[in-house]
Amino acid sequence: MPHRANAMICTCTNCISNGSLQIKEALDAEIQRRGLQDDVLVVPTGASGLCVRGPILVVQPDGIFYQRLKREDIPHLVEEHLLKGRPVRSLMYVPPGEEAPIPELRAIPFFKDQRLVALRNRGMIDPDKLDEYIARDGYKALAKVLTSMTPDEVLATVKQSGLRGRGGAGFPTGLKWELCRQSDGGSKYVICNADEGDPGAFMDRSIIEADPHSVLEGMTIGAYAIGASRGYIYVRIEYPLAIERMEHAARQAYEYGLLGQDIFGSGFSFDIEIFRGAGAFVCGEETSLIASIEGRPPEPRVRPPFPVQSGVWGSPTSINNVETWANVPAILNWGSAWFSALGTETSKGTKVFSLAGNVHNAGLVEVPMGITLREIIYDIGGGIPGGKRLKAVQTGGPSGGFIPSHLLDMPVDYERLSEVGAIMGSGGMVVMDDDTCIVDIAKYFLQFTNDESCGKCTACREGSAVLLGLLNKISAGDGEETDLELLEELGEAVRDASMCGLGQTLPNPVLSAVRHFRDEYEAHIRYKRCPAAVCRAIISSPCQHTCPIGQDVPCYIGLIAQGRFGEAVELVRRENPLPGICGRVCTAPCEEKCRSGAGGGDAISIRALKRFLADHERAKGPALTPPAPPPRAEQVAVVGSGPAGLTCAYYLALEGYRVTILESLPVAGGMLATGIPDYRLPKEILQYDIDAIRRLGVEIKTNMMVGKDVQLSDLRDQYAAVFIATGAHRGLKLNIEGEDSPQVLDAVDFLRAVNLGRDVTIGNNIAVIGGGDAAVDAARVAKRLGKDVRILYRRTRAEMPAAKEEIEELDREGIEIQFLVAPVKALRHNGRLEGLECVRMELGEVDTSGRRRPVPVEGSEFTVAIDTLIPAIGQEPDVASFADGNGLKLSRWNTLEVDAETLYTGAAGIFAGGDVVSGPATVVDAMAHGKTAAQMIHKYVQGQPIVRHYGVTRPALDVDVVELTDAEIETLHKPEMRLLPLPERLGGLREVQLGFDAEMAVAEAKRCIRCDKETEE
Amino acid sequence: MPKIQPGDLDRIGEKIKRTMLVREGAGRAKVTVHMGTCGIAAGARAVMKTVMDELEGRQVEDVVVTISSCAGLCSREPMITVELQNEPAVKYVDLTPDKAKRILIEHVLGGSIVAEYALAAGSERSL
Repeated sequence: MPHRANAMICTCTNCISNGSLQIKEALDAEIQRRGLQDDVLVVPTGASGLCVRGPILVVQPDGIFYQRLKREDIPHLVEEHLLKGRPVRSLMYVPPGEEAPIPELRAIPFFKDQRLVALRNRGMIDPDKLDEYIARDGYKALAKVLTSMTPDEVLATVKQSGLRGRGGAGFPTGLKWELCRQSDGGSKYVICNADEGDPGAFMDRSIIEADPHSVLEGMTIGAYAIGASRGYIYVRIEYPLAIERMEHAARQAYEYGLLGQDIFGSGFSFDIEIFRGAGAFVCGEETSLIASIEGRPPEPRVRPPFPVQSGVWGSPTSINNVETWANVPAILNWGSAWFSALGTETSKGTKVFSLAGNVHNAGLVEVPMGITLREIIYDIGGGIPGGKRLKAVQTGGPSGGFIPSHLLDMPVDYERLSEVGAIMGSGGMVVMDDDTCIVDIAKYFLQFTNDESCGKCTACREGSAVLLGLLNKISAGDGEETDLELLEELGEAVRDASMCGLGQTLPNPVLSAVRHFRDEYEAHIRYKRCPAAVCRAIISSPCQHTCPIGQDVPCYIGLIAQGRFGEAVELVRRENPLPGICGRVCTAPCEEKCRSGAGGGDAISIRALKRFLADHERAKGPALTPPAPPPRAEQVAVVGSGPAGLTCAYYLALEGYRVTILESLPVAGGMLATGIPDYRLPKEILQYDIDAIRRLGVEIKTNMMVGKDVQLSDLRDQYAAVFIATGAHRGLKLNIEGEDSPQVLDAVDFLRAVNLGRDVTIGNNIAVIGGGDAAVDAARVAKRLGKDVRILYRRTRAEMPAAKEEIEELDREGIEIQFLVAPVKALRHNGRLEGLECVRMELGEVDTSGRRRPVPVEGSEFTVAIDTLIPAIGQEPDVASFADGNGLKLSRWNTLEVDAETLYTGAAGIFAGGDVVSGPATVVDAMAHGKTAAQMIHKYVQGQPIVRHYGVTRPALDVDVVELTDAEIETLHKPEMRLLPLPERLGGLREVQLGFDAEMAVAEAKRCIRCDKETEE
Repeated sequence: MPKIQPGDLDRIGEKIKRTMLVREGAGRAKVTVHMGTCGIAAGARAVMKTVMDELEGRQVEDVVVTISSCAGLCSREPMITVELQNEPAVKYVDLTPDKAKRILIEHVLGGSIVAEYALAAGSERSL
């Protein structure tokens, strides 16, 4: 009697290394213990495909998919599911970003969009049981071929199917067989090329491990069509499980008479030998593979003659890849028309890819040719983890190329991939996020091919070494402008002058990277920047390199860890005149690149540590400002007292200039003072850092509006140079009907009024539109004023640009966010706002920003009753009062145009920076502008050429690493920020985040892994 | 073992067809025996055994038998749910081995619902 349930446990190499054999053992034991051995059959299978979630168990007939199993889960699983029929939800797959598990395999997006041809039996059979292969139509194609078809008919069917080689080059399989058949020669051979060597590729291994007979059957059919009587399966020795399963399968096939003499009584005989390759990459090249089988050194030779003319032992030989062979029985079973209905004009059928890298569902996927990269990466692969953005997809391994994210909608087939400089290859597909450095990866592939070059051709042997040397030089920060040209020229020469595929394709990763990511090479060469913060010789540490003002994070954190707080403050202040502010409101791009945060860990709380230092300094006494230098005669005017203006003034003052800041508002600080609410940045903190700048002799004149109280042309006459940093303080319009109502108040205007203590009249029922920091700030301030407030945002929580910890506080403070809602019309009655018509949105395709674009749902309009509307959808600069007549140019976003490197406007003596140039950006970006402007203004005033010099990032000090005790290594963890209790928040604007105390700060600083001290291996 | 001939392939396949059907979750019909604590206490194991034995005895190959937990109507156990392909599921209640046998013959194999044992047509969405 058959069992009522089958427990299909994945025993691919991947799952085995995750302990699936122990789980199988536990399953068997538990099933025995429960007396279920006649009810439930445990079946070991090949890879299910979702390898990253292993070990995997699928319970049939209901198709319940269990993942990441541990031995200790098994008794509960057996009792609940197999005994009582209650599937265990806690062990099921949960899609990224969701909470509800998907019980059934066929409903999981990873599986449901796949189309299995080569992998038709994966997860369904025990690869060691020939009967199970037969029960799923196995060897029927062979029977049909041997009993009812001529070799020519088989050739015709395979040709008509359009099957092309799955090993990489895509040569038509039927044609290759035909050429081999037509070649003169006594005995002929077929070879299965399973010398899979691309880093990250495991298609061939998985097919053999899951379904070895599909390959044997395909080869036997091919041999019949060609007229071959012997075959080799060339498997690399690093695949012991694949070898074991293939050997077992071949033994069984011989027993059944499916290999050997007179198969099916047809008179056709075919013998197979499994050949273990020693693992040289070049053996994947067909002439090298043949040399290896013949016992010669694996070096390629010139073609022609091609192997189909003269192959192994000088006989005509057809070499096809594992996946190609596995497709053959399906084509013969279901016909060429069925097969060629799948795919594109030039590329028929499906392709197996091993999806790897920065993607949620890494694993083995089989998809129809012509599917887009977007479908593979986002629908099947589940997108990019950790909120990172897709940067590139690399196909074809060391022979392939990079495809940039803007080509994501490209259909995948042989021709389209090669058009963009990549190749289909054998099916490696590596997804890379924006923490990946293209130069670094190109270097990695070149290192690989350089190691694997057999050395026969000078072009490949020496060329790969020189290419690698150039890449090493670039990633060390020593690149020169001419290097790119040299890379391209040499790459093309290596491609043209190498004999075999290894050399001919090894420049591909370099050439496609230069083609699609030229700016990233230029960043390394010209600006000594590694945007992904990877290339060690350039970055020193990712945090320091990423910080727009180059804060030496590891060193000041190292000093905190040693309790040397004073020295740490001093170090921070060298590059940052506003530590108390940055310690509170910096967006901390450093933390995003922190190595401690990689791979799901917690980044070091760099911002909070800086705040700790700033608070420590304030408690100890006056800020540690450097001594004033000898004064210079020249004066500089700075227009605007925000972070850009203050920083510029500070560094100019340190150079000895007399600096006057003109501020149109009654208080200094720009957005810091008027945009950010007190509960995030208390006024006394801002004042403290501004006072320290004043003490250097910087004069701040408030209520001085340029263009009104003083003319820009006058400033140019009176001062040696002018720095314009007036910010972006004008809110963008929603462009909806009724927006001109008096009860519609932009978030920037609202926050400014509250910050300046001005009277502001708002109603009691407020809607804030937007998802950025301004929206969150406006909502939380309104809540503190005792109002009923909600936020309407057109995308979802995952897409909100506001700081994550601020969004969390919204929830805690009871402010509702309605997602996927956009305003359509402001509704008025007798001139008063009384409601907002909205429409529901849904997320459509991913746009260029990597976020899914919201689109309105037709007919979903609804009305919200409100009496005040606060739009917070963005800001732009307002330069109307001074832009005209001063030679300043405006962009289409109303920002001032400057030279991107020097911030010089081109109008004599006028520089500009901060939000007025960049549009709304971060505090630290504005400070970086201020710093650069100070350097450039100094050069300008001193009559030097206005050019920037770029160097690699280097630590300011040598700070020792603190040795941790074993207990510390075990117990140190990211501390929770102390927060003001909820009841104390409402009705006032008291600071919410309370910072770290000294003990917390030291503990957190000790957690830093000091990657700046890492030495090259 | 002697060499196999083309005709042997189907024979080998037939031998394990039931097993393969279980794996594919396919088949002409699916019989779910509710095996919660309540069902087992009321005699679901005997019902299960009858169903399995009858299918085996009649060499029925295209019916999948599976179990699930308590259907939420413990007072009416033992229960089974019968799903024929492309037809709504039918729940049967208060079963005995004899009743189960009749359902198997008349509904699962014969295609007509045994109305006197049926609770209702339809099944709640699983999970």
